[in-house]
Amino acid sequence: MVESIVSTGVAIGCIYALIGITYNVMFSASRVFSFTAGTLGMLGGVLGSLFIAHMGMPVAVGLLIVLIAGAVFGIITEIVAVRPVLKSLDQHLYVLSTLALALIVQQFTAIEWGTEARPFPRLFNIARGGFDQQFWLPMLACVAVIVGLELLYRYSLIGRAFLAISEDNYAARALGLPERGLRMASFALAGMIGTLAGFAGGEMLLAFFGNAPILTFYGFVPVALGGMGNNRGTVVAGLLLGLFQQAANFLVGGIFASVAVFTVFIIVLLVRPEGLAGATLQRRV
Amino acid sequence: MPTLAVESLLQTSALSAGYGKIRVLHGVDLTVGAGEIVALLGPNGAGKTTLLRALSGLLPWSGNVRFAGRDLTGANPRAVVKAGLAHVIEGHRVFTQLVVLDNLLLAGYDLPRGERTARVEEVLELFPELAAKRRERAASLSGGQQQILAVAQGLVRRPQLLMLDEPSAGLSPVLVDRVLVVVRRLRESGTAVLLVEQLIEKALALADRVYALARGSIVLEARAGEADLPLRLEHAYLATARHSPRSD
Amino acid sequence: MDAATKLCQSRAKVLGSTSTLATALPFLVLLLIGVGFPLFGGGYWGVIATRACVYWVLVSGLNLVVGFAGQIAIGWVALLTLGAYTTSVLAAGNVTPEFPPYLALTIAAVVGAMFGLIIGLPALRLRTFYFAITTLGFATIVTQVALAWQSVTGGGVGVPGPIFPEPFSSQWGFYYFCFGLAAICTWMTVNLAASRFGRALTAIRDAEVAAEASGISKPALLVPVFLFSGAVAAVSGGLFASLQSYITPDAFTLDLSVLFFIAILIGGRGSILGPVLGTILLTVLPELAAPLVAWSTFLYAVLLLVIVLAIPGGIAELLDFKNRRPLASGRTIIPRPDLLKQLLDVPRDAGALTLEQVALSFGGVKAIDGLDLEIRAGQVHGLIGPNGSGKTTILNVISGYYVQQHGIVRHNGTALPVLARHRRAHLRIARTFQTPRIVGSASVVENVMIGGTIDGKGTFIESLLALPRYRRDEAMLRATAMLALAVVGLERLALVRADRLQHSELRFTEIARALMLRPGFLLLDEPAAGLSAEEIERLGALLLAIARAGTGVLVVEHHPDLIFDICHHVTVLNLGRLLAAGTPAEIRSHREVVNAYLGG
Repeated sequence: MVESIVSTGVAIGCIYALIGITYNVMFSASRVFSFTAGTLGMLGGVLGSLFIAHMGMPVAVGLLIVLIAGAVFGIITEIVAVRPVLKSLDQHLYVLSTLALALIVQQFTAIEWGTEARPFPRLFNIARGGFDQQFWLPMLACVAVIVGLELLYRYSLIGRAFLAISEDNYAARALGLPERGLRMASFALAGMIGTLAGFAGGEMLLAFFGNAPILTFYGFVPVALGGMGNNRGTVVAGLLLGLFQQAANFLVGGIFASVAVFTVFIIVLLVRPEGLAGATLQRRV
Repeated sequence: MPTLAVESLLQTSALSAGYGKIRVLHGVDLTVGAGEIVALLGPNGAGKTTLLRALSGLLPWSGNVRFAGRDLTGANPRAVVKAGLAHVIEGHRVFTQLVVLDNLLLAGYDLPRGERTARVEEVLELFPELAAKRRERAASLSGGQQQILAVAQGLVRRPQLLMLDEPSAGLSPVLVDRVLVVVRRLRESGTAVLLVEQLIEKALALADRVYALARGSIVLEARAGEADLPLRLEHAYLATARHSPRSD
Repeated sequence: MDAATKLCQSRAKVLGSTSTLATALPFLVLLLIGVGFPLFGGGYWGVIATRACVYWVLVSGLNLVVGFAGQIAIGWVALLTLGAYTTSVLAAGNVTPEFPPYLALTIAAVVGAMFGLIIGLPALRLRTFYFAITTLGFATIVTQVALAWQSVTGGGVGVPGPIFPEPFSSQWGFYYFCFGLAAICTWMTVNLAASRFGRALTAIRDAEVAAEASGISKPALLVPVFLFSGAVAAVSGGLFASLQSYITPDAFTLDLSVLFFIAILIGGRGSILGPVLGTILLTVLPELAAPLVAWSTFLYAVLLLVIVLAIPGGIAELLDFKNRRPLASGRTIIPRPDLLKQLLDVPRDAGALTLEQVALSFGGVKAIDGLDLEIRAGQVHGLIGPNGSGKTTILNVISGYYVQQHGIVRHNGTALPVLARHRRAHLRIARTFQTPRIVGSASVVENVMIGGTIDGKGTFIESLLALPRYRRDEAMLRATAMLALAVVGLERLALVRADRLQHSELRFTEIARALMLRPGFLLLDEPAAGLSAEEIERLGALLLAIARAGTGVLVVEHHPDLIFDICHHVTVLNLGRLLAAGTPAEIRSHREVVNAYLGG
């Protein structure tokens, strides 16, 4: 029983952590939280099922196309919902524009794909049971993304450009860095991470349009708790969230588990609005 | 040197700029010739930083700006850097999360890789103290070293004109002198410099020509060696409102 | 009372009444349509119309939260769910004794008020996106609880909705019941919007620091708003349950929440008429063609995106004809300091604001390093120095935005404790800001009236119900604001949307707003920035007149012009320390000052 809680908890925690990283990557590039992170996760599962189970593509090809679709959706998000409102003085507009875009995609999926949760194909032809692929696939994806990002930031110039833009956007512009192109690239990267999360977690979450609001919320909790823009904190918080949720599920049942998670979340935020690891905000007068 | 017969390296006319509804610059005319050091002086709020930001494309502006024979209308900062105009912004802001070498490499982002590494090495030779710390995070540098790093960033692309926004701000006198030595060396290598400074005496000691900016317009233009310049500057700054142009 | 003041008061009355008529007309039209609807609408459209009324009851309250207070509460359907189930379960009498429907509805309203407060309060601590996510979480939780708590809510099977007794049990009877409630909610929220509470809400939304400086306390203001919004949302839930006849958890989808939220944004923030039209539009739109029903949320989202990108002001902005008329170019600001006597004619102590050895550091940097300063009533005191000298920091300490680490700030001899910054206004310490903080979408006179918020006596409920004290408040505030605008020379622009004004006009608007407090001390942060030479002269004359009327004026500046012309005393700062203090003549010739200014 404990094994089951741990493996499910860590697996789901990895999915939440990946969505949290998706939020963070978009935030680093634009200082904006986008509502589309959860929708990207949902698309990973739905498109994966569409391409592999329904259209019969090989797994690798299906994954590739899903990632490309994620990158495209990320870029569309930047162009349509983020760039136009960055210039505006009205800060809240990005919440509305990204919410609108997320809803558009979710509703379209609900209508075209259906509102029922449909099964996600088994990716590797190994028998079920034990430490099953539905558990280690999300973990593998999470590790791959963490390592990949680390390599990107440390060894590629574009990765270091991302860090520069994130730290001091103004200085980066003055230096001549292609700020807009880098922002688009960040959103494309975030798109790929989000869809990867949904794809890797497809068997657990199923191909379901309703995953979008679930992942929007549960993917944000690690960001809020771990500190915005802080990937390490987000991963730790994501894993803890997954474990806590599964333990609560087991002890008190599904509904009250949700209530428990939510209550803890609210209490932590009210006590420390900047998260457990974030820095306090200073307000300019 | 004559600025009439040959087109100057940088030439602005009727340059106006501001932030939203607040108009800061009201028609600025200035020139910078190739290889000369021009100091831009003026009290706080005069618009010196705004002027540099307009020139480098960080702010929208109206009027006329020509640089190296090209019209800079509508150019964004990336295009301006490519054209040979580098802007070292105020506050010695470098990327503290990255190492010194990365800070310099990013300054050459648009260059082909081989050329980028070569230029960065060139710049490091000019600044041995930076070369010694090439693998250290910029956060571990002192304020003065960060300022020198920022100037070094500006030099990676071998600009024809380097604009420096108060490089001495927040630095101790020793470090200030260090930075100004670097600036003097630039002139020797043929790079023109537009230097915004609060320290009048040091700026006058270094510059070929001087502009004074007050309340958004040029109130004085002179050669650096001219007589009783400090007094003339004081009068120009503290001139009463009645002599200043109207802002519309 | 002199002719000028009489003129201002009568002008205020005229302005007040013409704008009231213009505002009332569209609502009267809607009222007529609504009352007469059953005459030409069929049964099917009757249901739609009833549904629109039911939705509007909820949206009218949510409008105060989202449109006026600017809080992004996306998950408000949670309260609809709560209200629906509370009313239905109490009325059905299966779990509890059977309650009469009206009583059940009232109890639901109370429950709704409580939960409105619970859901809304995090807004006081959390940033925009975080708060939006928490409301989403709430909505999901409530629906899940409805699903799980089978013994009470019937779980997935659901419960029957309440049936209201004659004459509201027939279709049209129930329609009129809902329409009546919708009309009452409209009336109440229109009243609130045109009250000091409505203006204070928009101030918190768009210019929070200015709101605080005017004495507005965000928590104190948001609590009644959440209570009210929660209550009407729950009432709407009860009505919804009755309309549906039978409710199950999956009737309360996130789609509904989205509908409510988008109706407000399409309508336009800070408006009542806009969201009314928005609600009607979004309720009717999917019914126009059968396929549209399935695509309804998709359409709403597309509409939202279009509005955000193209017309952020929504329908309200489209309908704002009077602000399309071009303004006169070449406008000048001509203050009338002679009117100050009427405005500032209140008894004030001839005291002083003093700083004693005040020190404050940020990180390792000493922003203020042991400063003594005295601002006397009736005098203009200039505070100058280069960038980074600490001038604005001092102003922020006096006005309560920063807390000093050492030293005392005294007001008329009494030490100012570490108060919430909105308490300074109650001490009649007013200020302006380096960049004008105004509510762009409100008119100039409304912006100025915000400055007098704390002088209103009517309570929240009195404002909702348009009781006499609220009416007196409005008349008083409007007359005072018009007088203040006349003093600064802007009364001709009173009804213009503030974001159409030039920068210099906004600066004077801020001064008018500050004058509403009849301040004993007025603190100005770089008031001359961006003004022309003539405007600076007039500003100087105005500030001198304000001082002569008994106010202590502190001007923080780095333009020497204004300082040397009007100040009685000047303090010069450099690097957080006192460099020199004295009369303008003494300072002007002080060698070190000149050097500090010019650098060196």
